[in-house]
Amino acid sequence: MKRYDCMTALGARLKDELVILSLGGSVDEWYNAAPHMRAASLFQQQLGCVTPQAFGLAAGLPHRRIVSLDTDGGLLFNLGILATLGNEQPRNLFIVVWDNERYQSIGGPPTHTAFGRVDLAAIARGAGVEQAYTVRTVEEFDAHCEAGLKADVPYIVVAKVDGILQPGIKRKHSDGREDKYIFVRHVEATEGIVIMGPSEHN
Amino acid sequence: MKQSAVDAVIRGLKRAGVSIVCYLPDSLFKELYPALDADPDIRTIRVTNEGEGAAICGGVFLSGKRAALVMENSGLRASVEPLARMGLGAGIPVVMLMSYRGELGENNWWAIPHGITMEPVLDALRIPYRVVREEEAIERAIVDAYAWSYASYYHSAIALGGELVR
Repeated sequence: MKRYDCMTALGARLKDELVILSLGGSVDEWYNAAPHMRAASLFQQQLGCVTPQAFGLAAGLPHRRIVSLDTDGGLLFNLGILATLGNEQPRNLFIVVWDNERYQSIGGPPTHTAFGRVDLAAIARGAGVEQAYTVRTVEEFDAHCEAGLKADVPYIVVAKVDGILQPGIKRKHSDGREDKYIFVRHVEATEGIVIMGPSEHN
Repeated sequence: MKQSAVDAVIRGLKRAGVSIVCYLPDSLFKELYPALDADPDIRTIRVTNEGEGAAICGGVFLSGKRAALVMENSGLRASVEPLARMGLGAGIPVVMLMSYRGELGENNWWAIPHGITMEPVLDALRIPYRVVREEEAIERAIVDAYAWSYASYYHSAIALGGELVR
């Protein structure tokens, strides 16, 4: 299963949602697979922070659907977030874990999911996130996106994808700081709120 | 902590506009955590490590709500990676309130590393901080930390030490 095909299917289902994602090649793939979601997506480059940040965003905007696009390496970096989600049971958080069984951005050495024993969905269920599934076809993935995007409990789909980066895609040129401003201004505009307002004096 | 110091912390958080607190409990703030849990205006989120709490607070910032990360100062060490990534890489601020374990007067051997490393780690991350040992200064210190972090879009920290936490 190709990650890019999954992203295309997920992107087609998104409109008003907010997305937080990482890492490596998945950033550029999402930038291309869901161009209508660029301003609504916070592109990060960090292990272990994506789903916690998405949960914080979901806690702050409980009326808004939040999507976390995490990775096997990223989730393994901080499995504790699964226990926090199990206890907190956010009603508006849908999590996709792109599990290509490797640290793709540094050339592809294996993660712990590469050896057939570590099951991230089972770990999630054991942590109290009962709706946690592993999928291996785009059709299965898309069906879980449909269910997960309207679920009122935390919902995790571990998507087993190959490690082949989509060829010919456009690279994202912005850095983390510019991405944050774009994202915050989008949240401000769509929520009618001020997050980063003016100084007291100009 | 005395009840009056707990009250001062909560007054400061509310004056700063905080509505969500992430914490990993410690012994020096043990009276603070149940008070936060019981406050109807504050949602508490218990985390498995302080780095996770820092990342959740970063997400809360992006929502327009205000969050605080409350912890023992040893949690600062657990938070360094997400703090560096979010703060220096993206300009996403986290305001921290920590108990000052390991300062002079500490009588637990295991807490000595917390005192030795807290200020150098804050300095390494270029995080401005204030050590507060007087109850009258708590509320203002918390409000000042938020003012600074929401002007700089960078982390700040308040450490409560001395008789405030003993």
